[in-house]
Amino acid sequence: MKNESLLSVKNLKTHFSVGNSVVKAVDGISFDLEPGKTFAIVGESGSGKSITALSIMGLLPNNLENVDRGKILFNNQDLLTLEEKEMRKIRGNSVSMIFQEPMTSLNPVYDLSFQISEAIMLHQNKNKQEARKIAIDMLDLVGIPEPQKRIDAFPHELSGGMRQRAMIAMALSCNPKILIADEPTTALDVTIQAQIIELMRDLQKKLGMAIIFITHDLGVVAEISDTVMVMYLGNTMEIAKTNEIFSNPMHPYTKSLIDIAPQITEEKRKIHVLKGEIPSPINPPSGCVFRTRCPNASSNEKKESIEMGLIEVKPGHWVDKCGVNCGHLRA
Amino acid sequence: MIKVKNLKKYFPIKGGFFNAKNGDVKAVESVNFEIPEGEILGLVGESGSGKTTLGRSIIRLIEPSDGEIFYNNENILNFNEKDMRGLRKDFQIIFQDPYASLDPRKKIFDIIAQGLKIHTTMNKQQIYNKVKSIINEVGLQEEHLNRYPHEFSGGQRQRIGIARALVLDPKFIIADEPVSALDVTIQAQILNLILELKEKYSLTILFISHDLSVINQIADRVMVMYLGHIVEVANTKNLFSNPKHPYTKSLIETAPQIFRKNKNKILLKGDIPSPINPPSGCVFRTRCPHASKDNKEANIEMGLIEVAEGHWVDRCAINCN
Repeated sequence: MKNESLLSVKNLKTHFSVGNSVVKAVDGISFDLEPGKTFAIVGESGSGKSITALSIMGLLPNNLENVDRGKILFNNQDLLTLEEKEMRKIRGNSVSMIFQEPMTSLNPVYDLSFQISEAIMLHQNKNKQEARKIAIDMLDLVGIPEPQKRIDAFPHELSGGMRQRAMIAMALSCNPKILIADEPTTALDVTIQAQIIELMRDLQKKLGMAIIFITHDLGVVAEISDTVMVMYLGNTMEIAKTNEIFSNPMHPYTKSLIDIAPQITEEKRKIHVLKGEIPSPINPPSGCVFRTRCPNASSNEKKESIEMGLIEVKPGHWVDKCGVNCGHLRA
Repeated sequence: MIKVKNLKKYFPIKGGFFNAKNGDVKAVESVNFEIPEGEILGLVGESGSGKTTLGRSIIRLIEPSDGEIFYNNENILNFNEKDMRGLRKDFQIIFQDPYASLDPRKKIFDIIAQGLKIHTTMNKQQIYNKVKSIINEVGLQEEHLNRYPHEFSGGQRQRIGIARALVLDPKFIIADEPVSALDVTIQAQILNLILELKEKYSLTILFISHDLSVINQIADRVMVMYLGHIVEVANTKNLFSNPKHPYTKSLIETAPQIFRKNKNKILLKGDIPSPINPPSGCVFRTRCPHASKDNKEANIEMGLIEVAEGHWVDRCAINCN
């Protein structure tokens, strides 16, 4: 797509073998991440959002199916071909990650000082005192009050919002070029969620890292991202700039998600419904994976045999080809 | 239909020498409200605001510390256990987590039929027919009755939870965050189902949620709760078009929206304080964007004032704007 991208994912496939079957969690997705920008991945549970993130981080379980996995290009190297030893130098250093549930992703038996300093000592060749100083600065940066005192706190002594701030401090402590945030605000109250989103935007301005932001909430997408990718059952349905995707959604799945998203309006709104549930990735529908729930399905019988693939309908706006056609039929 | 007066719930904190009482968790503080028949009343607030405790206290799943609860003009807090049991079938609850609220070792039929076995004198065939009709009503089929909860998805389990609540033809339902654990597409299906069934069975519902966007879609009237206090009550339209309390305003402004008109939102600072030691005076003052420098809110007494017909706001908020 573009060559100035910081990270380029090309035809990524992550398949797992489970018993005698194959789970196609991610089935051929491609996207580019531009430096300093926020790229949102949105979709329902089971769409492959998190597995995409874990594939980039190299944090997959070892029951991977042996298929052509595509490429993940970063700094002129393909992350998928790196040895674990090489990968370890990148992970937590130039690419780091924060998770949904800040209580379970922090280690309950170590204080913050230890957990944040660990990565700094490992990646930046600092001694304990220096690392601790950096850790205190990081806590200050993410807006934790009294960082000199809080640095010795254990995770259970912090509230949910503070824990997520501490996670962010840890992830940013080595000045990563890419921060992957997997539903970082889903477990938080709205008022705290707003604080964390504000914080991430601020930090991006200050530090200039690119963010891959995974969420199921289109409202959050609208607040934070520059570009959006909509995923369904391991496939990409649509990629476009945030403004473009909300003002001109092309794929029926994107349209449904936008119609369904609960929004505050002054009048009570009719609730839109998308029928059915996301099918099992063990036995996905043939052809267009969305056809079993597609509101336009009957209008195009070829959906069962169609091959999926993105088409650029406008510069930077990519839509799965089945979605382009059925959208036209509907119009 | 339901009228709540000065309802309080304190949980004692015990520990130390002879298990002495060290204080109280003030979960619900002097709450007053009414739910007319056929209404969906939304109850919204952050975690720790006392929403769930309030909901459960109303139907005495948690024993309130003080106050009165009138159901059909009778104070149910005066009822003994036996009288209460007679009322149980009128009150049902739909829980948040559809994974935790269904017994994994029981078949769906037994889960739904249990209430009928306890509360009615129906024979086996009547029970079976009733369960069958209710399972169809919530969008599942007869063949599902022989399966176990683990064979269902989250959305289907929530449908089963709804069937269990409805099978006794209840009058009043407490829906405690019934869609929070579900994906957006499933969330919409369940909300629609609740609305349909509400019409069909003429239910009265207390709908508890932390998500204002969901409340906006489903409720007729909304109560906003903060640290055990109701800080604002209004019908849905008034609350969203003309919110008065700074907490309500902030909740509305910070709810992530796809198409937002108002870009400059007021972010609340800090977290909700502990209900063990809540701020004196106005409980919201520690996070209030309008809090005064001389701290006069610390001495104010809280209480709702009617600012427009049916629109009640805590009195501290009227002065601070």
